[in-house]
Amino acid sequence: MESVTQAIASGIVLGALYGLIALGLGLIMGIMKFLNIAHGTFIILGGYVSYWLFSLWGIDPYLSIPLVIIATFLAGLILYKLTLSPLLKLPHIGKRIDSSLLITFGVIYVLDNAMTLVWTSNVRSIITSYTGEALTIFGARLGINGLCGLGIAILAAVALYFILSRTYFGKHVRAATQDAEAASLCGINVQRTYLISSGIAVALAGVAGVVIVSSYSITPTSGLSWLLIGIVVMVLAGEGNINAILPAGIILGLIESASIFVVGAPYRQAVALVIFIIVLMFRPQGLFTKRE
Amino acid sequence: MATNWKKLLTIVVVVAACIVLPMVIEIGTNILNLMVMLFIFITMSQSWNLLGGYTGQINLGLAAFFGCGVLITHFIWQAEVPIYLAVIAGGLSATVLAVFIGLPTLRLKGVYFAIGTLALAEALRIVVGNIFPEWVKMPAIYVTTYSLIPRYYLGLGVALIAIAVVYLVTNSKLGLAMVAVRDDEQAAQVTGVNTFKYKVLALLVSAFLAGLAGGVYAYFRLSFMYITTVFSPLWTFEPIMAVMIGGSGTLVGPIIGSIFLVILSEVFALTLGEAHLIIFGILFILAVLYFPSGLVSSVDRIRHMMTSVRRSISKLRQQL
Repeated sequence: MESVTQAIASGIVLGALYGLIALGLGLIMGIMKFLNIAHGTFIILGGYVSYWLFSLWGIDPYLSIPLVIIATFLAGLILYKLTLSPLLKLPHIGKRIDSSLLITFGVIYVLDNAMTLVWTSNVRSIITSYTGEALTIFGARLGINGLCGLGIAILAAVALYFILSRTYFGKHVRAATQDAEAASLCGINVQRTYLISSGIAVALAGVAGVVIVSSYSITPTSGLSWLLIGIVVMVLAGEGNINAILPAGIILGLIESASIFVVGAPYRQAVALVIFIIVLMFRPQGLFTKRE
Repeated sequence: MATNWKKLLTIVVVVAACIVLPMVIEIGTNILNLMVMLFIFITMSQSWNLLGGYTGQINLGLAAFFGCGVLITHFIWQAEVPIYLAVIAGGLSATVLAVFIGLPTLRLKGVYFAIGTLALAEALRIVVGNIFPEWVKMPAIYVTTYSLIPRYYLGLGVALIAIAVVYLVTNSKLGLAMVAVRDDEQAAQVTGVNTFKYKVLALLVSAFLAGLAGGVYAYFRLSFMYITTVFSPLWTFEPIMAVMIGGSGTLVGPIIGSIFLVILSEVFALTLGEAHLIIFGILFILAVLYFPSGLVSSVDRIRHMMTSVRRSISKLRQQL
């Protein structure tokens, strides 16, 4: 019984992180219909920024989040300006998605190797005074870092929900998502909306990076495996269904921690792939959307 | 017909040179190594080109099919089966793998196929790394009899097969259907093309070619310190780059792109080391953004410019 509560609790914590990873991915996919393959690499970039702030100036990783957000937001603006905005000129939407896949695949190589040059390929993680400590809640032991990650994920999801549903910017975003041309006829600056939302998406990746670097570890090339988890969560939630991403992440986390009992921890990735294929076969529109 | 004869003659001369040269003159080990890698890249990029360039389905997990070919060929060859059969078995195993990922993902439009293949490669990389944590190597007898010449010919043969297959497929009814799927899937469907069938067929042929390339690599390398390296996304990235730089959806493009890539990586790897991938990445992004039809079309473009310049010069002369 104890191991079951433990598995559920750690599944929720893990799943919240998965949801946080997928938020930025789902935002770009939902708004611009671009799939940002380099999302995982931006997660790692955020982790390295946090790592640097910690090791050079001794700034606590969770206090460094605002600085990481600023840095990765700028990175997102650069990403949009240099690589994504030229694609919007392509007339055919399928061609646009394919090119965005290829281009961000190229971005991975530029960033990966730049990060290897700057931070070497050693495994990095942040170890603070409270890293090993844990709390016992309902008989389940949870690390402080995991709980912080859970809190940050919920905070980020709620903040994103309020930005998208309660602000003028969110209104612009929803208008541009529904029909970019009509939105721009109504006087919405669609280009600027896209620019800022890709900044927000990459900043969310950076926040996920902070959580990962403080409770796991990062290497320049580990972005791809985080990206895949994000993609599986996005498919579970349904394409463009941003509000369902955090619950979908928690479902994936629970399935994964249950699968550890069955197949063992090393095969987590394979489990995620199998879930991905099953969802695509039976519910390609995602778990949380109704079929149109 | 004159240009056709010229083309045929060039092809025959190049192929004959590739076959005869290593027999006649002693070629250094370095160059032979490079040539084998070039053949592997040509096979891989033709494989990607068939699916990505002609059928319009972006495969981001070519490494999965390649790595599967490497593994299966390695173990079958180790069981003292002739290498030619082992390589074919590698290709077939990649085809089987392709069925598993292709059937659920190709049915859907959009990015699912790309995501599925990417996830497949990554999952295989991790699972295979768990199964074979140590050296995957051949017995000593294989190492002592190692010689590059048979590797060269096997690589050449597989590359020629790949080019021939892509040529034959794209010049048949199948190829016509594939191009129709790429250009406008909905319109193709409306006119009665079973788009799903052709997408799956293209994937199977493409996976088979990638598996063959993997077989050649297994024969070429013998032992692998970390078997996970054959599933590394670099094996996807570099063939895509060769296709994009050469010109996707053409037969010659991937060949030119592969030659360009192999020479470039040789030059850059010596001078820049690890950083050469940054330059590759930037080149790749620029090629996709501003040069989507690749080097092949730029030859035409330059020819076009030359003729227009010539015309304007002759006009000037007449005026003078």
